[in-house]
Amino acid sequence: MRERSNNRDGFGAAALLLCVVVGASPAMTQEVTTSLVNIHQGSWLSDRARGLANGGYELQDGSWVSFNRWYHSNWVDMQVDFLTQLTENSGILWGVGTGERAEKYRIAPSLKLGFLTQTHPSLNSTLSLSVTSTVGGNLSEKPCVADYGELGTYSVNCRLAAGETAPEDTLKYLVNATPERLRLWLNYRVTF
Amino acid sequence: MSGNFWKLGIAAALTILPASIASAQEALDADQAAALCHGGGSICVSAKIPVARTTQAVQSWMSPDVGAAWAAGYKGKGVTITIVDDFSSSSRFSGNFGIGTRYQRHGEWTREEASMIAPAATIRSKDFSTGSAVPLASGRNVLNLSYGMYANAGYSVNQIGWAKEEQSIISYASKGSAIVSKAAGNDSVAVGGVTSGQQDYLDLALIGKPTAIFVGALSTNGTTSNKAQLAWYSNYAGSDPTVQSHFLVVGVEGDKTGLYGTSFAAPIISGYAAIIGSKFTKATPVQITNDLLNTARTDTLVNYDPSVYGKGEASLSRALAPVAIH
Repeated sequence: MRERSNNRDGFGAAALLLCVVVGASPAMTQEVTTSLVNIHQGSWLSDRARGLANGGYELQDGSWVSFNRWYHSNWVDMQVDFLTQLTENSGILWGVGTGERAEKYRIAPSLKLGFLTQTHPSLNSTLSLSVTSTVGGNLSEKPCVADYGELGTYSVNCRLAAGETAPEDTLKYLVNATPERLRLWLNYRVTF
Repeated sequence: MSGNFWKLGIAAALTILPASIASAQEALDADQAAALCHGGGSICVSAKIPVARTTQAVQSWMSPDVGAAWAAGYKGKGVTITIVDDFSSSSRFSGNFGIGTRYQRHGEWTREEASMIAPAATIRSKDFSTGSAVPLASGRNVLNLSYGMYANAGYSVNQIGWAKEEQSIISYASKGSAIVSKAAGNDSVAVGGVTSGQQDYLDLALIGKPTAIFVGALSTNGTTSNKAQLAWYSNYAGSDPTVQSHFLVVGVEGDKTGLYGTSFAAPIISGYAAIIGSKFTKATPVQITNDLLNTARTDTLVNYDPSVYGKGEASLSRALAPVAIH
């Protein structure tokens, strides 16, 4: 199987695709077995959060504020996925995501649940279908408190505090993003 | 006109304030030098016309701050800039703010400049020859004064019988009901100083008013690596701390626009004020004025001295930035 490739450079390399069969062959014993099918660090939400760290601006006294101090995380969201095989041709896909956080954003932990089924149109081919759903894992950006001196103190989008947008309006541009909630995956494999 | 209104029989000249570039000055024609008498009798004001300029079509006359705001499509929404200037005389001159060479009246130039900096501010034109009171719009107001009121030196401001136009302007600056951006003048003297035996009494009347800003001209926009200096023609802040605390400078890059003079410095501050006013929608004119004054830069100027540069070079980016954030 091949996962849809939307990995980022930095963390795509960290992705591991494992198919480790735990337990005996289900075809022989019909026992419920669980396989670790994927360990993956990073996601498009992680990358998006990391993108928020680019840039900065000067305060009124000229001192530089780098966004990196607010949007740098020491830990990158990691997803671990498992397949619990129920029959020879079906199983439950499930997994967890650790989430990540920095001072001004958070990616919440996530849970993934779905199923996988497959059929063999011919002796050397496999057609598989999986559907997974993810709960949690939202990326949410936190506001800052900006002191504009005589002009007042406002809750603002940290990144837009020095721009032309009215302070209260900057909050409209706080990033709130959700991961893929539902993934449908159809795969046809021919072995020769 | 009553005797009480015209307190003194002095001749005040209503003078628009482009730089007098000797090498390029046009001769004033009769119309340009024509007297504009407020009520006739003792006090007349006369319009002195801008100088000739070399036209050079470039689009880089704005400071990086202004350019960034403009490129970002910033609109200056919700603020009204009233340009009190010449919109009726036959005097016109050439220039180019980067959108093509034009031949316009002084007020049309200052209006164009302010509108380019704050493109969606509401721009109003008030012909200064009418002498009638300047009305304020609802919401936040900025008044652009690229002219002076000259009379023989030696009188006190209280002795001047102002037309309703200037009475209203001075009142707004006193009460803090509008930001007043006043061109400092082009006589290379301190604000309110004597030149050729005359003084700009409008300058004098605005000293110490909470929302008055005197605007001098730098020959270029300053940066820390390429510091700017006061344009040779520009009036400077002088030794009065009250003036210094309300004096800003901005780059007037006439070599790029063909337009020189503090006349073209004041509209930049008017545009800045409009931009700040549209960001801080609840800010008062006094707060916006102080924001501009308190965030001026001194590290972009050659040999910064408050008696020359006042508070320093206006910085739109710093005026929009927080003091602190966490």
